[in-house]
Amino acid sequence: MSRQSESIFTANEKDILQEVMNIAFGKASADLAEVIDIYVVLSVPDVALLNASELAGYIGSEIRDFERISVVEQSFMGRFQGVALLIFPSEAGRKLISILGQEDEQSALHSIALLERETLMEVGNILIGACVGKLAELLDDQITYSPPRVLVEDDPRATVTRDMFDPDSTAIVMRTLFSFENENISGYLFLITRNESIAWMVSALHSFMERYE
Amino acid sequence: MGRTLLIVDDSPIARKILIRCLPPDETFRILEAGNGEIALKVYQAERPDITFMDLTMPVVDGFQSIVDIRKFDPEAVIIVATADIQTKTLFRVLDAGALMVLKKPMSREGVKDALEKAEEVLKDSERRR
Repeated sequence: MSRQSESIFTANEKDILQEVMNIAFGKASADLAEVIDIYVVLSVPDVALLNASELAGYIGSEIRDFERISVVEQSFMGRFQGVALLIFPSEAGRKLISILGQEDEQSALHSIALLERETLMEVGNILIGACVGKLAELLDDQITYSPPRVLVEDDPRATVTRDMFDPDSTAIVMRTLFSFENENISGYLFLITRNESIAWMVSALHSFMERYE
Repeated sequence: MGRTLLIVDDSPIARKILIRCLPPDETFRILEAGNGEIALKVYQAERPDITFMDLTMPVVDGFQSIVDIRKFDPEAVIIVATADIQTKTLFRVLDAGALMVLKKPMSREGVKDALEKAEEVLKDSERRR
């Protein structure tokens, strides 16, 4: 974090958020594992405070190994508000179809492209919903979601569009890298909170720790 | 001085929360480690009675650390404290020799129950010596 960032969000607050994110993504993984026969290998989540103008570069750099990507994007609204981006390499959609066992049942009725979108949407719904929902629950907030949408991008840096955030604002970015064991699929979940949420977030993180005083 | 606890977690906040969930009427000697590699060194030097182990950690993760510590001390009492609550994770760590799994976020009640279970195992082990 930059020195300016540290004045709005201390290292201690960052550590608390990292742990809360860890718990939230753990819940999301368990929910996904329950619905489909998959084991999610987790990594240590990362938290960064960035200017919105830096977001596209940051995400592009994190996913630089993916040539083409599929993105499930979903906004969430509450005191905790922002955008969730679940990003897979573009071939993941097809692999997930067979894991979910949808290929045989529905391929006669749907095109593969449509099945891929529906599958990604389903996985995104579970991972984003459970993770954001648990995070909000731990921080004592209630949120609503916009409908998710699936995007396929040739340029990973295009995942964060100019109109998504005010370029002068600050955003907290939570990043989790995960993979599906034995399936050679890895992906990223980014939760990007809006500037308006930061003051609430700092206060909510302290309230979370006060439960353990 | 009561039992010696080793708390292994890369998150200083998670370690702090666990310490705050310990029963206030009991005294413990607390040791801390930020990953599985450090945990093994601390374990070998200090032989703690009970180890609380996170799973998702850099350098050496908790899955490997359980194996390493149990290889050094097959009677090591290890309580997994994790946010990874997938059923397969539970089976993996129990197969590796962990006593039980505590789900994050920690609760005082959960930690108390885990310590009581660990205490039974320790007493049983001490009786057999």
